[in-house]
Amino acid sequence: MAEEYDLKTDELIVRKWRKKSTLGAPGQWSIEVGDPSTMDTLEPHLMKESSSNPVLMRKDTKTSFQWRVRNLPYPKDVYSISVEPVERCCIIRTTNKKYYKKFPVPDLDRCQLPLENSAITFSHANNTLIISYQKPKEILTLEKDLLTELKRMKGTSDGDVDCKTQ
Amino acid sequence: MAAQMAATKVPEVRDITRIERIGAHSHIRGLGLDDALEPRQVSQGMVGQLASRRAAGLILEMIKDGHIAGRAILIAGQPGTGKTAIAMGIAQSLGQDTPFTAMAGSEIFSLEMSKTEALSQAFRKAIGVRIKEETEIIEGEVVEIQIDRPATGTGAKVGKLTLKTTEMETIYDLGSKMIESLSKERVQAGDVITIDKATGKITKLGRSFTRARDYDAMGAQTVFVQCPEGELQKRKEVVHTVSLHEIDVINSRTQGFLALFSGDTGEIKSEVREQINAKVSEWREEGKAEIIPGVLFIDEVHMLDIECFSFLNRALESDLSPVLIMATNRGITRIRGTNYQSPHGIPIDMLDRLLIIATSPYTEKETRQILKIRCEEEDVELSEEAHTVLTRIGLETSLRYAIQLISTAGLVCRKRRGTEVQVEDIKRVYSLFLDESRSSQYMKEYQDSFLFNEAQGTQMETS
Repeated sequence: MAEEYDLKTDELIVRKWRKKSTLGAPGQWSIEVGDPSTMDTLEPHLMKESSSNPVLMRKDTKTSFQWRVRNLPYPKDVYSISVEPVERCCIIRTTNKKYYKKFPVPDLDRCQLPLENSAITFSHANNTLIISYQKPKEILTLEKDLLTELKRMKGTSDGDVDCKTQ
Repeated sequence: MAAQMAATKVPEVRDITRIERIGAHSHIRGLGLDDALEPRQVSQGMVGQLASRRAAGLILEMIKDGHIAGRAILIAGQPGTGKTAIAMGIAQSLGQDTPFTAMAGSEIFSLEMSKTEALSQAFRKAIGVRIKEETEIIEGEVVEIQIDRPATGTGAKVGKLTLKTTEMETIYDLGSKMIESLSKERVQAGDVITIDKATGKITKLGRSFTRARDYDAMGAQTVFVQCPEGELQKRKEVVHTVSLHEIDVINSRTQGFLALFSGDTGEIKSEVREQINAKVSEWREEGKAEIIPGVLFIDEVHMLDIECFSFLNRALESDLSPVLIMATNRGITRIRGTNYQSPHGIPIDMLDRLLIIATSPYTEKETRQILKIRCEEEDVELSEEAHTVLTRIGLETSLRYAIQLISTAGLVCRKRRGTEVQVEDIKRVYSLFLDESRSSQYMKEYQDSFLFNEAQGTQMETS
């Protein structure tokens, strides 16, 4: 797992995971928070999603988890967001059947906190659907602790980190 | 329409099958046994050798059961009596999923790898692990395919594919490889397809119900399916078989899994192997994986030396070892690496662990039959007299020599615009190409006139 924070605002920019496949081969990075388009490594001869499609990415703020879906030109009343506490995920639906997405909230899964319908709000502007989920108290304290811990670490100055070669 | 479809499909199938070249044992399709493991006289390309084929059939059952590890079988017999053919027959009847690794005894002598490393890699190639893995697939109904050909006629095609489920719709940009396989599968709007995201493999599930019209002309085999629900991208578990060696290479840190494709795997540390073994047995206990012991076939096994045999002795005792089949055409000979003589060039302690199958020389009738099968395989027509002559040649020289004459005689026949190979054609090639005994005869007669023979007997005094 790797995380990138903004040094000035202390906001989380990127959090990504890399897991090994069952046989032990190193897998691709999977992005939990941040822009996934930087990780486009699919083979050029196969297929990839067209850039005009809706793209979901997560971009948190201090007080809430936030997801943005770009390239969604439809009006606001088309969308409906629901929370499935049993399946532990949120679902975006569209009445015109153009977009559908199930996404989990890994932070809540890791702390084993319940998902709540009341915490979720959404807005739509500039072809972008923004979904916010109010961070519960437990998460807020956890993140504060983590941040003080991170502050105590000494950051390296600019440039490449001095890696020990074998 | 269905009949027309069937008529257009025939040439495709032929295209695929004719790519293979004709090898020495390409006429072998199995062991030629019936359900009770009794050998048929002529079947699946096998002729004669009834006792050894029945023995091989028993071994085959043992391999298929998969319970017994580390048995070793030796197929011994004179040259040209069908030892490799029997091994190939076993390989063919095992089917796709059981690993069968074939190697020659001399293959293990390499400068880059120690002998025992080469042997243990071969051993581990012959053990399969069937394991579940998650892959990402795209499953949806095709709304539209749009393929743009460049105006100049050259250059890459570009295209767009729109897929939908009951809930959503997505547009994909297609690469050239994908366009090719979409048109090969004849995917059209209204089909429900799945695409494996990693490999790009397309599977047609059927046609969507929403596209079913009363008066449409459909082939009898058209299946109608519901449009998929939910998201287009799904995770799905697939089962596939990999060999232990492949897992070793993937996990050996120095090389990385790309080494599997370049073939340059180098030596694999024994710690890695131990880790993999532990992991695999853990998977097996958890029910995640299944071990499929396969077959390692070592041809010309007399080429192995004493160190290899002692390694084999030890390796066969592991419960992760495949069934080992060896073949040799030597009688009592020197064990490589020593000065001791032993039957088949194999040490006695190794021989003691082996089940030995002997093959015997073919009779005239069997030779005739084999030559007939080979003629069919090589697409050469033989007249009755030519067949008799060739059989005589096969008996007096060797079966291999007679088989070599088939295609050459076929060429001679084609050059004189004949349709059937006659006795004259056989005579012609028989006079053109020497067999082994005539060649040695010739050597004995004209030895003196060959190069470097003038110096013989008049050795220079050097001391």
